[in-house]
Amino acid sequence: MPLRLWRKPLDAEKITIPKGEVHIIKDRCKGCGFCVEFCPRDVLEISEEFNQRGVHPPKVKDESKCVLCGFCEAVCPDFAIFAVEKDCKGGC
Amino acid sequence: MTDLQTSEETSSQPREPTPDDETRIGVYVCHCGLNIAGTVNCEEVAEFAATLPQVVISKDTLYTCSDQGQEIIKNDIKEHNLNRVVVASCSPRLHEPTFRRTLEEAGLNKYLFEMANIREHCSWVHLHEKDKATEKAKDLVRMAVAKVARLQPQVESEVPIARKALIIGGGVAGIQAALDLADTGYKVYLVEKQPSIGGRMAQIDKTFPTMDCSICILAPKMSDAGRHPNIQLLTNSEVQEVQGYIGNFKAKVLKKPRYVADDCTACGDCTPVCPVTTPNEFDVGLATRHAIYTPFAQAVPSTFIIDRSLCLNKDNMITCDKCIKACERGAINFDMTPETVELDVGTIIVATGADVYDPASLVHYGYTKYPNVITSLEFERLINAGGPSGGHLIKPSDMQIPDTVAFIQCVGSRSERTGRLYCSNVCCMNTIKDSLLIKEHWPDTKIYVFYVDIRAYGKGFEDLYNRARKEGVIFIRGLPAEIIQDQKTSSLWLLGENTLEKEVYKVNADMVILSVGIEPTQDSDVTQRLLTLSKTSEGFFMEAHPKLRPVDTPTGGVFLAGCAESPKDIKDSVTQASAAAARAGILMAKGKVAVEAITPIIDPEKCQVCGLCARVCPYNAIIVDKERKITEVIEAACTGCGTCGAECPFGAITMRHFTDDQIYSQIDAATELDADRKVVAFCCNWCSYAGADFAGVSRMQYPTNVRVIRTMCSGRVAQRFVEHAFAKGTAAVLVAGCHLGDCHYINANYQTKRRIEKLWKKLERLGLNKDRLQLAWISAAEGEKFASKIKEMQSIVDDVTKEEIEKTVSLFQNGTGD
Repeated sequence: MPLRLWRKPLDAEKITIPKGEVHIIKDRCKGCGFCVEFCPRDVLEISEEFNQRGVHPPKVKDESKCVLCGFCEAVCPDFAIFAVEKDCKGGC
Repeated sequence: MTDLQTSEETSSQPREPTPDDETRIGVYVCHCGLNIAGTVNCEEVAEFAATLPQVVISKDTLYTCSDQGQEIIKNDIKEHNLNRVVVASCSPRLHEPTFRRTLEEAGLNKYLFEMANIREHCSWVHLHEKDKATEKAKDLVRMAVAKVARLQPQVESEVPIARKALIIGGGVAGIQAALDLADTGYKVYLVEKQPSIGGRMAQIDKTFPTMDCSICILAPKMSDAGRHPNIQLLTNSEVQEVQGYIGNFKAKVLKKPRYVADDCTACGDCTPVCPVTTPNEFDVGLATRHAIYTPFAQAVPSTFIIDRSLCLNKDNMITCDKCIKACERGAINFDMTPETVELDVGTIIVATGADVYDPASLVHYGYTKYPNVITSLEFERLINAGGPSGGHLIKPSDMQIPDTVAFIQCVGSRSERTGRLYCSNVCCMNTIKDSLLIKEHWPDTKIYVFYVDIRAYGKGFEDLYNRARKEGVIFIRGLPAEIIQDQKTSSLWLLGENTLEKEVYKVNADMVILSVGIEPTQDSDVTQRLLTLSKTSEGFFMEAHPKLRPVDTPTGGVFLAGCAESPKDIKDSVTQASAAAARAGILMAKGKVAVEAITPIIDPEKCQVCGLCARVCPYNAIIVDKERKITEVIEAACTGCGTCGAECPFGAITMRHFTDDQIYSQIDAATELDADRKVVAFCCNWCSYAGADFAGVSRMQYPTNVRVIRTMCSGRVAQRFVEHAFAKGTAAVLVAGCHLGDCHYINANYQTKRRIEKLWKKLERLGLNKDRLQLAWISAAEGEKFASKIKEMQSIVDDVTKEEIEKTVSLFQNGTGD
């Protein structure tokens, strides 16, 4: 058997990875779903609500997973989504 | 049979008998001390041999393989003008090369020799049936004499050996072998699956018994290997295909991309900006690594690597460019693609190492349930100054240094109930070393070691053991039956029986270290198939001979080093690696090797150019030219399995040294007396014959009814051989070969399977009991299986009626119209 890696690494608390804050401009969205499809961390999902254009914009499912890769910004054809770095000085 | 026997040019010209020469056979029956003579009446066998046709002289000698024994043969060859020799002693797999040399020294062609295996196949397996064993020995000699009379002198051809070596596995064994060969002056390709060479030794803190820092002594070797002009490192690479034969292997190596170019300076600026993390395999999951990383500080090559399964950039979409921006050298390149490198090498060294046992299945020890139960490999990373805790042995539950530590030995080793049967060789000394390391840093720590036996067998080992006892390490014989965790404090209670004091113990410890065993790597099957190697029942690669060829494999030009062969410590791995390098070096220094003259000769008169032979050849070594109406054998590609010979319906193929005529003569000799109580067994040289040898070495007792005929491959066994045996009145026939998929000749044993299935149908059609023909896949390690197969066949032999035998004889003697 290859090694089983089951433990929480001892330095898990010390490693800092960037945390993102996702902003969605709902009414710009045309509901293509690219951001949901391509987010490598599975942060987004399609919401139930309708926007002004009559489509379902995305919503944030689990923001803690966002590492600010900027993928959603790059794939969005309508510039309707962006992420900024979260200020984690006081703890997130 | 060895194909490694690089034959010295004999000074005198081989004296080959002319057709006018009458056949003059000498038979030598060896006592082998009491190994044979203790069971078999050797004088009687020798007297019997003298009565056989064309036998001129027959002697029994104490040790035929000794210098004196060989001298006797040489003198007799000259004095009695012998032109054929039979030695009845041990397995030809052991001493055939020895006696072949004896013949050559006496000026006789070495192919005019045959062995009767009356030790492994007779005296050792029939220890309590002396009369029957003697009768069997006579039969075996009769078979050997019949065959030797029909043997022809052969001239071996030579193939060149490429002066390049491929080493699979870049642990300490692979590194040592690579350095030795490279220093000798040969080009070496060192292939390692991981991103860095170094292997397990790089993970370990200190080595026993000298307490040297492991990485401190390994790192210089690693960098030597990395910058040696004769060594080409192929890390993050895997061997995918190996074709060819001794001296002329063609290997395909898949070089997976690192996504970081060689101009990486290993500054490490890319790592902290990488937004994704995972447990680091090198630290056994005790520390974190990023998607772009280097496994450890001393890694060779030092170039970083991107783990694309973790990286946010999938396929061709690159959006996260944090590492690219951080790299001043611009070394990161996501456009790198996998590349297949083709290597032409003469020799291969397998140093693929081993895995560690996963103790999670031993529920009573609570590994993965209790945080403070760790494995010995996790311990190595914790106590290592470069490890995740900076060298502090801390409890994972609260990061505090433990006051009491308990080691449990034989976790996954030496157990019929759980884990593996064998001793893993290094765990006892590793634990003693570990206990001393704890005492060195934190002298007040109370240390218990729960053991079965302490095996301190090597140089300096006993001293270390005594030192640990003097330091106050408490050794308790008897493994804990259960570990229970205190829910509040996370400390552990170990419950068990002290078998020396005969009392029950209940010991409290802050931390438990499971001394885990060593097991074969998970992908050892792949390596086995690539190089047609054999494995022991434990799953480690098998050496060609356990005593005399301990680093050779049955495949010519392929050698073993390190834990791939069996669990061993660093010193033994290094020793074995140098030995393997020397063995490979011998071949490459010579630059050529003689191939056994066992390849087929095709008679153009008889050949109908039907192409059946070419279809069954596993090596595509037969070329059929329908236009020119010729069939040709490519000598260098042929390995002499004989499958073509068994397939040819016109008798146009003569398998040199294993001709139809010779095999018929062996069947006739085996069935001359009491055929109706015998089993004629055809065993392939590499697996089943070796398996029968192993049954002998292990003294596994089985009935005396079996007479083994050796062929190179079970694919050599033609349907007509089996039919001939039945026509002679044999009670039962066994055909045994390597396991399907493990055939020494790639896939030739599938032909065996097909032919036997055809024969079974035929037997059924003729109204005969098809159980009288048995097919078995017996590996070289499965002596037990061979013995039990023969026992099983005894009952078939007992049940066969006289009428049935008579019916079979008449059906097959008159031909069955196929």
